[in-house]
Amino acid sequence: MVCFNNGTISSYYGGDLKMLEITDLSFFILKIIIGTIGLIAFGIVFGLIYKGVDRKLSAHMQGRIGPPVRQPFRDIVKLFTKENIVPDNAIPWVYNLAPLIGLIATMTILLYLPIGGFNPLLSNQGDLILILYLLLIPSLAMVIGGFASGSPYATVGAQREMATMIGYEFPLAIVIVTFAWALGNQSLAPTVIQGISGAAEPVVLQNTFSLAVISGIPIWGTVGIIGLIGIIVLLLALLIVTPAELSKIPFDTPEAETEIAGGLLTEYSGRNLGIFYLTDAVKTVVMASIIVALFFPWNLAELLSIEDPIWLVYVLNIIFFLIKVLIVIIFSVTLIRVAIARLKIDQIVYTYWLWITLLALVGLICIMWDQQMIVSQWNFLDGYQPIVSYLGL
Amino acid sequence: MLEWIEPLIKTLTTDSGFWNPLVWGIVFIISYLVIYIVRGMGKKEYKKDTGQTQVFLSGNPEYDKEKMHVPGANVYWGFTEALKWLYNKFDKMHTGNVSDYILWFVLIMGLFLVIMVVI
Repeated sequence: MVCFNNGTISSYYGGDLKMLEITDLSFFILKIIIGTIGLIAFGIVFGLIYKGVDRKLSAHMQGRIGPPVRQPFRDIVKLFTKENIVPDNAIPWVYNLAPLIGLIATMTILLYLPIGGFNPLLSNQGDLILILYLLLIPSLAMVIGGFASGSPYATVGAQREMATMIGYEFPLAIVIVTFAWALGNQSLAPTVIQGISGAAEPVVLQNTFSLAVISGIPIWGTVGIIGLIGIIVLLLALLIVTPAELSKIPFDTPEAETEIAGGLLTEYSGRNLGIFYLTDAVKTVVMASIIVALFFPWNLAELLSIEDPIWLVYVLNIIFFLIKVLIVIIFSVTLIRVAIARLKIDQIVYTYWLWITLLALVGLICIMWDQQMIVSQWNFLDGYQPIVSYLGL
Repeated sequence: MLEWIEPLIKTLTTDSGFWNPLVWGIVFIISYLVIYIVRGMGKKEYKKDTGQTQVFLSGNPEYDKEKMHVPGANVYWGFTEALKWLYNKFDKMHTGNVSDYILWFVLIMGLFLVIMVVI
């Protein structure tokens, strides 16, 4: 028997497998430094590209030509050449620090996510709960920046952002916990995990909140038909949480240009506004990457059974990952913001606390029910089994 | 040479989760330095003590701070408005009469006892 721990299969020796195993500390620190800089570049470049694609697509959906895909890059350059005005009423150090903290916190999340088919750079140093908390920081930074602006519009926007955060956190937490519960449940037989992960021996899962574990064991293969419905419902809930997390229409009341003149960003200009602009772009990549890691973790090279040459494996996996992220952004951001008008803040709270929470709970109950039926081998035709069993996989 | 650091960067674990604050701190500092350099490329000047440093109020004059203040209680407006059907019912229950509160307490206790006995 072996243990699947944070994405690496190692011999089970009864010791503490969760301890950080570092053989070469200096190499580890170097890896962190290079990895952080590389992922910052990746997040900014692809965040802006996806932002350009989103704007172009939404324009076409509305019968407009729209700006070129490279427009967000031009916007950033333009913002960085503009005056960085600090209002008289503002608390300058908080006002200037808030955009920085927001972007930095968003960047750090990238190191805990499986990007381009690779294991997370810090797969042993943080789990999904940490990501859930880190996701709060950019929104809180915007709230603090809004309050520090000393503008009534920004204050109203900051208050709305807080209400929206309280609204969407509950269904988001349900989705995350469901995943960890489903994978950590005892009903998942070691042989089932062995079959899905391709391990040589039966596997016992540990640290099911680890994204490396979750993306290593695609949840679709562990459930029956009812669980499949549950996963689709959870995916739907997370797709609806995403635009609120990113303050996109219809959940963009904190900014609401036509009502409160940009809300918490009203007073921001120049490089500070540019940093918030980058935060939005990178956070879009982060949210889409989380959805990909949870729901669509497959790699193209593995699907096509390509193992050599190694550069081809990397290229295929990275391109496939970028396409998956793009598709998620189109469905969770572009389509929704084009199709639906802005909701009022009470409608947002009502939507999340009632309908989306109920939706997430239905998904949770379906998966719990499904696992129970697999355990009891409920008699339905030839027995209730994971879908992979029906497909002969 | 760097062995003394190793105990400091052990990952904190519970039965279900784990994270390493020190590694996150290192990543945070590296990111801060990079983003700070990027931010430094932007223009930092602006015209102090001019009209551009006044808050934007759609052309309206700025009144005293006390008159412009947005109360913190407004945060909850979205919730009270969205769930007013529920809050209105709760409002009616708050009669201020202790006898009513004790009656509620006894009723809920009775309900729980019934549930516990049945289950």
